[in-house]
Amino acid sequence: MSAIQAIDLVRRFGDVEAVRGVSLQVAEGEIYGFLGPNGAGKSTIVRILTTLLQPTSGSGSVLGHDVVREPTTVRRLIGVALQEAGLDPKQTGRELLTLQGKLYGLKGRILADQITEVTELVGLTDAMDRRIQTYSGGMKRRLDLASALLHRPRVLFLDEPTTGLDPLSRALIWDRIRELRERFGATIFLTTQYLEEADELADRVAIIDHGQIVRQGTPEALKAEVGADVIDVAVEERETGAARAAITELQASGELPAGELRGTREGYTLFVPDGPENLAVLIRGLDKAGVRFGAVSVSRPTLDDVFLAATGGRMAAADQDGQGEDQAHEPEPAGAGRRAQ
Amino acid sequence: MTAAAPDAGRVPGRGSGEPQTLAAPAGLISDVVAITGRAIRGILREPELFIFALIIPVFFFVVQIGALGDVAEQQLGISNYATFQLPISILFAAASTSGGNALVLDIAGGYWDKLSLTPAHRSSLVIGNLFGEMFAVLLYSLVLLLFGFVIGVRFAENTLVGSVGLIALTLLFGIGFAAVSIAVALATGSIRATQSTFIIFFPLLFLTPSALPRDLMTGWFEKAVSLNPMTYVVEAARSFLFGFDGAVIAKGFLAAALFSALTFALTALAFRRRVRMG
Repeated sequence: MSAIQAIDLVRRFGDVEAVRGVSLQVAEGEIYGFLGPNGAGKSTIVRILTTLLQPTSGSGSVLGHDVVREPTTVRRLIGVALQEAGLDPKQTGRELLTLQGKLYGLKGRILADQITEVTELVGLTDAMDRRIQTYSGGMKRRLDLASALLHRPRVLFLDEPTTGLDPLSRALIWDRIRELRERFGATIFLTTQYLEEADELADRVAIIDHGQIVRQGTPEALKAEVGADVIDVAVEERETGAARAAITELQASGELPAGELRGTREGYTLFVPDGPENLAVLIRGLDKAGVRFGAVSVSRPTLDDVFLAATGGRMAAADQDGQGEDQAHEPEPAGAGRRAQ
Repeated sequence: MTAAAPDAGRVPGRGSGEPQTLAAPAGLISDVVAITGRAIRGILREPELFIFALIIPVFFFVVQIGALGDVAEQQLGISNYATFQLPISILFAAASTSGGNALVLDIAGGYWDKLSLTPAHRSSLVIGNLFGEMFAVLLYSLVLLLFGFVIGVRFAENTLVGSVGLIALTLLFGIGFAAVSIAVALATGSIRATQSTFIIFFPLLFLTPSALPRDLMTGWFEKAVSLNPMTYVVEAARSFLFGFDGAVIAKGFLAAALFSALTFALTALAFRRRVRMG
C-alpha cells in the first residue's frame, strides 16, 4: 500500500486550471520532494491531499484512505506544516500545542510527554511559555513543525518548510526532517522551490510546472537523464543570433558533439558529454566567429538543468513569471531567499 | 502526466510493527471545550478590546439619561429613566461582541486551516467561538449591571431573579448577533466586512422603544417599531426591571430565539461554504 497516492487530480479555480491531471505514488518511509516554482500547483495539491480542498476531479488517498470520503481518518494519520505557519499569536507555544494535542484526542501524561518530546526535537523548550507573537519567523516554523508532529503522524506534509528562512534556520529544519525519518520512519511529502533542498533531502523528486508533473524519479536518475555536462555561456542580447549560428556551425562541422542547445535569459545552455574538453572548443569557436561573450562555465547537471530540459525554462525564471498568476489562483506567496543553480 | 510506481521502495525507518499514530477521536464536547477555552483565553488576553466595547454603550447610556431623564420622569411618567435605559445599554454591548473578528483573523492568518487539519469536529471551531462570545456578553452584562446599580438603577421586584433573567435574555440575543458576525467571517474571510456587521445593529436596536415606551409613539415609526422583533426583546428586558410581565417576557425570549435561529442558519450555510471552498 502506498503512503500517498494521487490519481489524475484536477483542480480548477474558475477558468484557471491550477492542477492538471497529477498522478503520483509515495512509498511508506520515503521522503518525496515536490519541486516547482511559485504558482506551479504545489500548495494546491498539498491542500487536496491533506483534506483542506476538494479536487475538481480525480482522487487522492493516504495510507489507503480516500481524502474526500474519509477526511477525518486521513487527518488522524497526517501531520501538516503549511507554507504560511498559521499560528495564534496570542497563545503561548505551550498553549498552542496543548490545544492542538487535545483536538487530536491526546490528554494527560501522553500529551505532556509528547509536548516535551516535540519541543526538544525542534529546539524550542525555552520558548514554550512565551507568547507566539514574540517568536521569530524561524521559531514559528519550528513550532508549526512541532505541532504537526505532536500526534506522531505516519505521513508528514511539509509545504515549503524553509521558504523565507535564513540559512541557519534552514539547516536546522533540514536536520530535523532527516531525524524524523531516521527516528520515526515517517513518510514525508516535502514541497519546495529550492533545488538544493530537494537534492539534499528527497529520495525521489517530482518536478511540477503549470499544474503538471513533468519529471519524476530519484535526483540522481533525473540528473543522469540529462545525460551530459552543462555548459552555460553568457551572451549579450545583440550577439545571440551570432552565437547560436556559431555554435550550430561547430556542431554541424563535428567540432562540437550534437548536444541539445537551449536559449536562456543570459545566453545559451549546451548539453554535451565531456564538458571540460568541449568548453575549450566552444570558446575557440565563438572567438573565431567574432562573437562577444561573457562568463562561460561547465558543470555537472543539477535539478535546475533537469527542469530546463523538461520545461525549456529555468526554475528562477519560471518563478518570476509565475508570481502574477500565482496570486490569481493559488495561495502561495512569493518565496524569499537564494535559489540553487 | 501519470507517474510511474515508486522506484525507491521501502526506505529505512518505520517497519510494519511500528506504533500507529497517537491520534484518537476526542469527541464533539471535548473539541468544543478546547476551542471555547482558547476563545476565552483570547478575550481575557485583550482587556483593552473589552474596555473599548463598553465605552459606546456607557456613553449612550449616560447621554440619554442626561438628555431625556428629567423629561421622561417628570412628564412621561417613567419612574426611573436610568432603569428604563439600562437594557438598551446592555443589549448594545452584547452586539459589540467580536466573535466574527476573532474567527476572521484565524482565517486570514491561516490558523483556521491549522485547526481544520486536525480530526476535531469542524463545527466545534464555530461553536467554541460562539461560547467564547457568550462569556464576553456575560462579562459586559455584569459590568453594566454594576454600573447601573452605582448610578441608581433599581429592580422593581426580586433583583437576583431580574438580573439572571435579563442576562439570560441578553445571552440569547448576543449569541444570535455573534452568529451574524461569524457568518460574515466565514462567508467572506474579510476582516473589514466582518467588522462592518456592527452596522446592522443600529436599525435593529434603534427602531425599538429604546428612548420612549411604544404607547407614546405614533405614525410610521410606531409601525416600524412594532414590526421589529428586537422591540419585543427590549420590552422583555425592561420587564425584568419594572416587574415581571410573563407575556412580555415570553414574547421577548421568542423573538430572541427566532433571531438567533435565523442567524445560526446563516452561520451554518456560511460554514458549509467555507468547508467546501477549503
